[in-house]
Amino acid sequence: MTESPRLEMRGIVKTFGPVTALDAVDLVVGRNEVHGLLGGNGAGKTTLMNVLYGLYRPNAGEVLLDGQPASIGSPKDAIAAGVGMVHQTFLQVDNYTVTENIVLGTDVPGPLRLDLSEAKERIRDLSERFGLTVDPDAVVEELPVGVRQRVEILKALYRGAKLLILDEPTTNLTPQEVDDLFGSMRAMVDDGMSVVLITHKIRETLSVCDRMTVMRDGRRVETIERADTDAEHLAEKMVGSTTDPGAAVDAAALGAVDADKVEEVLSSVGTTTAVAVRDLVVVNDQGHELIQGFGLELREGEIVGIAGVAGNGQVELAEALAGVRPLRAGTVEVTGRSMGGLATSAWLEHGVAYVPEDRHRDGILPTASITENLVLGSQRSDQVRRRGLIDWGAAKQRAVDAIAEFSVRANGPGTLVGDLSGGNIQRVILARAFARQPRMLILHNPTRGLDIGSTRFVYQQVRKATAAGCAVLLISEDLDEVIALSDRVIALYQGSKAGEWQHGSVDAYAVGRSMTGLGEARV
Amino acid sequence: MSETLTAPPATPAETPGKRPSRVAEALWLVVPYVVSVVLAFVVGGLIIAAIGRDPIAAFESVLTTSFNTRFGTIETLHKWVPVLLCAYAFAIPLATGKFNIGAEGQLLVGATGGVALGILWSDLPMVVLLPCVLVAGALSGAVWAGIAAFLMTKFQVNEILSTVVLNFISFQLIDYVASHVWPDRGAGHPATTPVGEGALLPGIGQAPPMHTGVLLTVLLVIVIAVFMRRTSTGFEMRAVGANLRAAQVHGIRTSRLAGAGLVVGGAVAGLAGAIEVAGVHGKMLEGMQSNFLILGIIVGLMARGSMLALPFIAFGIAVLEVGAGSMQRTAQVPVEMVLIIEALILLFLLLSDIARAKIRRS
Repeated sequence: MTESPRLEMRGIVKTFGPVTALDAVDLVVGRNEVHGLLGGNGAGKTTLMNVLYGLYRPNAGEVLLDGQPASIGSPKDAIAAGVGMVHQTFLQVDNYTVTENIVLGTDVPGPLRLDLSEAKERIRDLSERFGLTVDPDAVVEELPVGVRQRVEILKALYRGAKLLILDEPTTNLTPQEVDDLFGSMRAMVDDGMSVVLITHKIRETLSVCDRMTVMRDGRRVETIERADTDAEHLAEKMVGSTTDPGAAVDAAALGAVDADKVEEVLSSVGTTTAVAVRDLVVVNDQGHELIQGFGLELREGEIVGIAGVAGNGQVELAEALAGVRPLRAGTVEVTGRSMGGLATSAWLEHGVAYVPEDRHRDGILPTASITENLVLGSQRSDQVRRRGLIDWGAAKQRAVDAIAEFSVRANGPGTLVGDLSGGNIQRVILARAFARQPRMLILHNPTRGLDIGSTRFVYQQVRKATAAGCAVLLISEDLDEVIALSDRVIALYQGSKAGEWQHGSVDAYAVGRSMTGLGEARV
Repeated sequence: MSETLTAPPATPAETPGKRPSRVAEALWLVVPYVVSVVLAFVVGGLIIAAIGRDPIAAFESVLTTSFNTRFGTIETLHKWVPVLLCAYAFAIPLATGKFNIGAEGQLLVGATGGVALGILWSDLPMVVLLPCVLVAGALSGAVWAGIAAFLMTKFQVNEILSTVVLNFISFQLIDYVASHVWPDRGAGHPATTPVGEGALLPGIGQAPPMHTGVLLTVLLVIVIAVFMRRTSTGFEMRAVGANLRAAQVHGIRTSRLAGAGLVVGGAVAGLAGAIEVAGVHGKMLEGMQSNFLILGIIVGLMARGSMLALPFIAFGIAVLEVGAGSMQRTAQVPVEMVLIIEALILLFLLLSDIARAKIRRS
């Protein structure tokens, strides 16, 4: 008899109310194997792994670990069975050290004695063995995202994980950090572990995985050996065929092909300067200068991408250019008009549209209808009002049109926006932004968490906007997206411009180095 | 903000069967109220039985007094006015996410403003004096709430604290006015001298007449509904209440609006004070704020953000309040029992949110 695989999931079914998230999914992960779980957002990858990790109870199906049926009802059971999971958002105590964070929740010597020197040794040992460089005494809040992720991985290893699940681990990492992470993953499987890599980026699975399973719409499409496949084949399995205009850009942004090799562009760059930003200084809520002397020129129909690791001033830059956050110093001119000091509503009226990063927090009124959400921001314009009162009849008609034009999946204009899915919320936000014929469009992580259809839809809308002469500022932590879409890429590091590249001559590694301060010594 | 301003979708659902129908939605809205009221009465009945009284007799008098006699009906409508107006005073700022716990202070200061004009200008004819009294009441209430609004927008002073503290100051204020400025020495209770004839709201009908403040309130219900639904400012207030950050990002000046909400709420409470003076008492007296503050809050919370539900809920509460007195007389159950039942209704209603969420999820 051959050795049983590390993990076997058979016929897993999971429904949420009327929605079937997993439809009889099988998954086999062997020993010493990096297994890619590939699919767009909403394909069911994370749901499947959450079932394995005990976060969801499946409606049907069984899980076998090392050939033995496993009953996992909670993450605690999962950890005990040797399953570790690193989520996209880290659960860490910011002001604890690395060691304290890792030890937290495990058995310590005694309730009154907290001697961590032994733990520290083990952590040091683990991090050396797997190339997960981290200082056990560092305080977590001072560490960059890439290192915090290593802490999270070490947490799982410290608890004795034999099977490690990584959920979209490369989001927010620079290309260099991604290489390091993949190196560590190889070291782990060489050491006898198994790794499941959840990702929507085909390139990643090709570079690190031994086998991959492609998922779509809650179903397993195919499981295939690395040697037997290539990017084109996987893209087709994942997305369906791609022949429509801009498909190459879409594919690159989705990580199917190398973004810097794409020649097609979405934009239609004009000659007139639409936006001029000079010596911009912006402070955050605590009064720290997070944008320092930033300058930028945008022509009509041009897309400029801002690449950077989260927390380098992106939010402040976006909000300042949207007129939401006051300018501490410097000027912003939109079609020749100086906008500094004007109220947010004046920026809106002048044609500045903002699609915020945090859709739920900044973008919508969750308990209001689609109609009302579409009116938000133009409630004082003559378009919306008749004889001083809001004309809800006309607003509702416009909402019906927008729902059709932007393919929002909703029962009707009266549907509460909080009840919509992320992709549909983004469509409502875009519909609102485009209804005002913007001259400048600021997109902050516009496709994060969206399924492939919605991601493509966003790109189509961007193309439409530039064709109409709208200047687009794309701020995104998805480097592939930035490189594929932008006419120019600017790297943002600690609030300043750290590099600029023209479309077609972008080197992803160079951008990555600039994003992290010219590749200075990493922690 | 549970109500939406647009009509339900005209087009049929894209995915039939996946979403509850309109009837089901309406049921989800109404059933919790019915269940909460029934449960509150059951628990209240158990308490009454436990203290050795007859719950059936008690509830009979609570629920029928308002409808059996003309007196009871008029009394109920007269109670409805201040309860509803104090509920608006709570619910309008709540729409912007602010808690006005100062309706009784605003009511008393509004009464003070009204009574001052009613006494000082007592010779003026009604067409001049009565509007002056009512407007003075609303303005005084607005100014009183304006203090809290100013502290909130300028210095970030928490509005709950400031409105509560202003209540205490208002008690001293009316005590001073009733005992030193225009005292009625013969009243045996701190009260002002009566206002002039022209300051009184005319009555409708005989023995006892219903004061026209009731009609004024009906008018106000319509004005507030239109204001919240159709004006830009009303929409902005609801937007702020629904998501402060999103409102800011979309150009709404949120702090100014939240301040405005408090001031408008204060004006409505102040108007309630003036109506109490001009319609019920004919003067200002200590204790006239009754328990309108707490009833207003209960009604405001029960309405769960729906301005349309307020008048109906306030009416129900007024029925209970008026019935309380006769319950004490006929069934020897203390009037406080009614407040217990009102609190229980609210409690069960809040619990129903949790229950509903659980049922819907499964």
